[in-house]
Amino acid sequence: MTETAVVAVRGLTKRYGRVQAVAGLDFDVLRGQVCGLLGPNGAGKTTALRMLVGLIRPTAGEARIFDRLVRPGVPELARVGTIIEHASFVPHLSGMRNLRLWWEAGGARWEDADLEGALAVAGLGDAIERRVKTYSQGMRQRLGLARVLLGRPELLLLDEPTNGLDPQEMRAVRELLRRLSDAGVTVLLSSHLLAEIEQICSHVVVMDKGQLVTTGTVRDLLAVSTSAYFEVDDVETARRVLAAATGVKRVTDESPGLSVELDGAQRSALVTALVNAGVAVETVTARHQLEDAFLGLVGRHTERHIGKGA
Amino acid sequence: MVRLIGTELKKQALRPRTWVALGFLAVVPIIIAVALKLNPPDLSRGREGARYFYLATQSGLFLPVAALRVMSGFFLVVVICMFAGDAVASEAGWGNLRYLLVRPVSRGRLLTAKLFVAAVFAVASTALVALSGLVAGVIAFGWDPITIPIPGLSQSTGDILGNLALAIVLITWGLAAIVAFAFMLSTMTDSSAGAIFGAVGLYIVSLILGQIDSLGSIRYGLPVQYYDAWSDLFASNKFTDDMWRSILLQVPYVIVFCGIAWWWFHRKDIKS
Ligand SMILES: Nc1ncnc2c1ncn2[C@@H]1O[C@H](COP(=O)(O)OP(=O)(O)O)[C@@H](O)[C@H]1O
Ligand SMILES: [Mg+2]
Repeated sequence: MTETAVVAVRGLTKRYGRVQAVAGLDFDVLRGQVCGLLGPNGAGKTTALRMLVGLIRPTAGEARIFDRLVRPGVPELARVGTIIEHASFVPHLSGMRNLRLWWEAGGARWEDADLEGALAVAGLGDAIERRVKTYSQGMRQRLGLARVLLGRPELLLLDEPTNGLDPQEMRAVRELLRRLSDAGVTVLLSSHLLAEIEQICSHVVVMDKGQLVTTGTVRDLLAVSTSAYFEVDDVETARRVLAAATGVKRVTDESPGLSVELDGAQRSALVTALVNAGVAVETVTARHQLEDAFLGLVGRHTERHIGKGA
Repeated sequence: MVRLIGTELKKQALRPRTWVALGFLAVVPIIIAVALKLNPPDLSRGREGARYFYLATQSGLFLPVAALRVMSGFFLVVVICMFAGDAVASEAGWGNLRYLLVRPVSRGRLLTAKLFVAAVFAVASTALVALSGLVAGVIAFGWDPITIPIPGLSQSTGDILGNLALAIVLITWGLAAIVAFAFMLSTMTDSSAGAIFGAVGLYIVSLILGQIDSLGSIRYGLPVQYYDAWSDLFASNKFTDDMWRSILLQVPYVIVFCGIAWWWFHRKDIKS
């Protein structure tokens, strides 16, 4: 473990009966990074984050924050801001009262909270004095971010923070995270949306079925183009032509088109080969490593429709 | 810790349900006073329980006793169980429990604060019935001491007020086992209704089992077997052995139930 690892996870495992929610997960988040924890629903993201804040006990392995083994209520948690699943509150109290009671329940003085900064993030205006039970999902999520920021955290652990937000609010969250990151805050946020991670994060940890799939900087993983996707009029001929081309590792069906794993071949050369064989090419898309790592997990077809739009 | 208890008190005090429950407890003695005023009981026709109603019309100081007799058997139990059963489970139900626990606070402290607040509201509930009864009774029937030539029944104003205070303590503590059970269930479930019903269920089962003679001496270990002993304060003006039994009987139950709650809550995975 390097000395700047703010989050360090080693062999982290959580079993629920026969279900392995998290299975031997390893990764680090270094100071100042904005790291995405990317995985399809059920990958174990929430479970991993819960273990990082001491809400649930690992079956095996360990999680550290600020170089301290996480246990329920360890002092380092004062430096962490977290939203797990959705932000939730005491429904019969106002947003403001919720912030204050939550803050004081941690033993801190209300005067020490960064109320101004928090309220600016919540952007709730007069609604801050309304009962939380009257809030929309987006308002709650914003109040949740505000609550997290009261204590000027050094590390943010956010579980799908843009869930339930409209596109405008999503953009605001992205900008907020960028600002916080510029101010030196380390962020680990989970998402099942590749596009979101691409937009927000400097680093990414891809996980599936509780295990690490790949990790690295988003830039590196985006730089390497490892496959291409073709849609053509004559799939059968195209498959033959592509499989015979040099620099092609593998051709797989991916309805309605074909996915081609590249090993040196240029996309343009493949298009030329197809056209020469009388195949009309309708679409060619380059795929990079991150997409490959992630799309392989969730099924490319669905991701193209639900993921890219977000 | 003081700050934590303060937040928990505010949370409970600002809850509409709390006001509905306490309002109900305060209104019933007033209704009793009005009913007795409009339709005074006739002692010659009365059943055993009617004695307190009759006495209440002789001195308003006795109305709280009648109100406690009426309320302590069920409604008060439900309300007190509500405060204890809600303590942790409602936070879990709101999804707020995890946010209380992702902080550098120990789970034990949170639990202690919640138990303390539940206890405060339990005492307040009983006291409210007595207080509301006292005010309504005095307004309706005055505060003359009772002078009936039966030893024990004749009590000075000071005696009655002192006994009332004692009765509040005896009634509330007499439910301590049930309250601890509600609290224990509250740490185990995300449904506060489940915890409340569970505890009220234990109360009712204990009452029923207490009626079954063939259970023999087992009955004397049931948590609410001596729960009604407090009313002897107003019949004999003495602190009886049954009152001591009621007090002491709670201790092992409270230790066991709170111990389990403590143990459970510390090892619990917070998944809500
Ligand atoms: N309390 C639980 N009991 C049993 N299984 C659970 C529990 N929580 C999560 N799981 C299972 O663990 C896996 C990971 O869940 P989760 O961490 O919520 O994934 P994600 O947040 O990535 O969608 C899922 O298969 C889920 O069904
Ligand atoms: Mg999740």
